[in-house]
Amino acid sequence: MNRILVLVPFAFDDEGVARRKAQLSEAAVRAEVTYDFRPVAAGPTSFQSPHDWLLLDVAILEAGLGAETEGYDAVVIDTASDSGVDALRSMLDIPVVGPGRASLLFALTLGRSFGVLAQWEPALARMRKSLDDWGLASYCAGVEHFDTEPDYATLIGDKRDEVFPKMEAACLRLVDCGADVICLGSTTMHEAHEHLSARLPVPVVNPGPLSYKLAETFLAAGLSHSRLAFPRPLVPKQEMIHAMLDAAHRRA
Amino acid sequence: MTQDARKILVLVPFPMTPDQLSKRTEQRDEVQLPASVELHYRSTRAAPSNYVSAHDYVLADITLLEAGMRAEEEGYDAVCIDTVSDSGVAALRSMLSIPVIAPGRTMFMTALMLGRRFGVLSMWQRWFGLYERTLRDLAMEDRCAGMRSIDTQPDSKNLFDGKEEDLLPLLHEAAVQLVELDGADVVCLGSTTMHQAHRYLQERLPVPVLNPGPLSYLTADAMLSLGLSHSRKAYPEPLVPKPEMISAMLTAAAEVEGPQ
Repeated sequence: MNRILVLVPFAFDDEGVARRKAQLSEAAVRAEVTYDFRPVAAGPTSFQSPHDWLLLDVAILEAGLGAETEGYDAVVIDTASDSGVDALRSMLDIPVVGPGRASLLFALTLGRSFGVLAQWEPALARMRKSLDDWGLASYCAGVEHFDTEPDYATLIGDKRDEVFPKMEAACLRLVDCGADVICLGSTTMHEAHEHLSARLPVPVVNPGPLSYKLAETFLAAGLSHSRLAFPRPLVPKQEMIHAMLDAAHRRA
Repeated sequence: MTQDARKILVLVPFPMTPDQLSKRTEQRDEVQLPASVELHYRSTRAAPSNYVSAHDYVLADITLLEAGMRAEEEGYDAVCIDTVSDSGVAALRSMLSIPVIAPGRTMFMTALMLGRRFGVLSMWQRWFGLYERTLRDLAMEDRCAGMRSIDTQPDSKNLFDGKEEDLLPLLHEAAVQLVELDGADVVCLGSTTMHQAHRYLQERLPVPVLNPGPLSYLTADAMLSLGLSHSRKAYPEPLVPKPEMISAMLTAAAEVEGPQ
């Protein structure tokens, strides 16, 4: 029996967390693996500026840094930005999986290039930064958005009839640009995966469910991240990090 | 969603006796596969003697294509190739809709999920051309920190068989050089035939060591769990498939080779 901790990047209530947890039904996860979803204590309201990105790095680090002592076998981050992944890897020996970089690399096992579906224009800056940071820009046929403001709590919800056609059109533009594979640019798009997969002529990678299967793969193979790539801090500051997020939570 | 039973065909790139084939099937015990996954191993009917020249690469491609091209109609859910060369994968993908897993490509991409640059540990310097070919195809040469070998001609059928005491320390020494001198933060085994060294090396090295064969089985399971397969845009179907011609070619090849 393995336990995997999924870190949800917003301070949601149970209902908001449940919408994220619905991703579990989109992959055939192993019956012997338990997934616990945990929201961050506090964090940014949006996700479109370096201010937001930094806050999310700290919030996710705090939410997961005790995972190993709590008895978890792996940690998954429920955001394709991979916020907090590097910092968590520097402190944990158990596998820490970020869906963003992993979904793009996985796409390159299925085709020669990928296209990324972004939510709206303000999301493009982060996506371009990620492509550069991960050294994967040259494999990207394009980034297209569907011009819809994200709702991180309710996701697509009852707006499917309006939003799904716009997503499909943006994906077809990516295929026209030469994308062999489409990567959903956010785990919040998971509700559209089935619809898009059924209509597009290329594979569609759903980053959240993929990250669960990768975590299971790493556990089954006895793998984790390289300590040489993610060195430990000389002096870990867990208490300081927890105190910062406690303060942020009280303030929120 | 729970897992349905899955039949995965593993193509072994050389004709084998049952005893030799058992050394390949041992790989299934090196990872925890779900009980729902069934692995069926099948040898090619002919093969090059080893994978060291363009002549060999072409023969490897065609023999593996022939061994797996009917996998879908035979009821398999996915195909894995038991060679890091990824031989035959592109052609098989062009003919099959079920996932066809390329262990080399998959291993290098997985390495980049765990570290920044990987090193390739090999038995033999003459295998480097295979890795260079895949890295060029992926345009990922700059992610490879280095390649090291113990310059020992491998036995693709009997594997380490009795030579462990000689070979394992040499492999360890070369892997340490990959890490300490070349800057690899993940080590990739350069052949599925090296699986017998995986545990020894992983216990002694400070970085993840990727075992390509077992990793390919888990990747096949993940792809099936996610409903994913390769892109038809990247692997277009032939206008006129020639399975009968390909089968006839391999029947002829096997006759020329005689019993293996």
